[in-house]
Amino acid sequence: MRNLWLAGSLIIAAAVTGSLAALSFAAAPTLVGKDAPDFVLKARDGRNLRLSEFRGQVVLVNFWARWAGDSRQEMAALDRINTTYNRAGLVVLGISVDEDLIRAEEFAAAMKVSYPLMFDTGARIGRDYLLEKMPMTILVDRGGVVRYSNVGFKRGDERAYLDHIRELLRE
Amino acid sequence: MNPKFRVVSIMRGALLACAWAAGAALAAPSGPTATPDAVPAPGAPGAAAAPDDFKTLDQEVQGLKKDVIDLNKDLFVLEEELLFPANTQVALYVSMDVGSFFALDSVTVKIDNKEVKNYLYTAREADALLKGGVQQIYLGNLKVGKHELVAFFTGKGPVERNYKRGATITFDKGVGAKYLELKITDRLAKHQPEFTIKDWE
Repeated sequence: MRNLWLAGSLIIAAAVTGSLAALSFAAAPTLVGKDAPDFVLKARDGRNLRLSEFRGQVVLVNFWARWAGDSRQEMAALDRINTTYNRAGLVVLGISVDEDLIRAEEFAAAMKVSYPLMFDTGARIGRDYLLEKMPMTILVDRGGVVRYSNVGFKRGDERAYLDHIRELLRE
Repeated sequence: MNPKFRVVSIMRGALLACAWAAGAALAAPSGPTATPDAVPAPGAPGAAAAPDDFKTLDQEVQGLKKDVIDLNKDLFVLEEELLFPANTQVALYVSMDVGSFFALDSVTVKIDNKEVKNYLYTAREADALLKGGVQQIYLGNLKVGKHELVAFFTGKGPVERNYKRGATITFDKGVGAKYLELKITDRLAKHQPEFTIKDWE
């Protein structure tokens, strides 16, 4: 009987914890479904790129930082995605939120990715995109609306990105 | 946010919502007529009048929509007047003539030693300026009196060299609105770009 009570209490505690976690997750601010805030930044190759000028194409914006452990793996994955889907109308933009511009520039040079990397040193764009954890990736559809957002990078995320990208490219 | 601006914005939102709701209510079939059973059979009395009714209804909806657009325009003008009253308004424009000796990258504007605007130009925007476009780069408010405006232009100069130049103007802000134009032109004699600020009296 005691064991039954213990098991019951554990189940209730787990359910309450799960609900609270779900509530806190749901309450996290997100831009999904809203217009992507416009920005203009200088890319490493010297071009100034404005998000709104890519209207009509699917845009993947990746906020990265040298110190964020997952960024290195994610950037490699995004490079593969860009190489494959660039011709189909996908634009990948990488935005560094590193305050140390020199070290961020060194890191960017070492990564040798095929898509443009830019630097948001004042963190203004990060604020507009409600950036809380790094790295963060968002997908903007052809109409300029944020359709998908992902924080961090773990196994399986590349597959999820591909699924969403294919879906948005078909629209 | 400016409280006046907020009030006008709320008014605009409420007005739009009301007007669209009214339009939707007028357009939507209501009551028993909405059920398929209530649709008059062809040849029955009233069947001929239905298309006319719909036509009138449609005209009313269109009229309402037009009113909403007109009101929205008026409120937008009111909003502009509240935010940037003519007596304190200052507007800056950027124009580019020819541009053979300069590829524009960015413009930074300081008024009374305070940075008010830093604008990065994409290739498309610079191209639009070269084609004769004029860009309103800044709209703000200034007190009556003397003010100093400094504009820094960066880009690529002749022979692809990095180029940064400044232009300064001291102007008198009177009671009316003030319009200033930041002009980039080519100085053919020296094969150099020239940066000037024109005060539109």
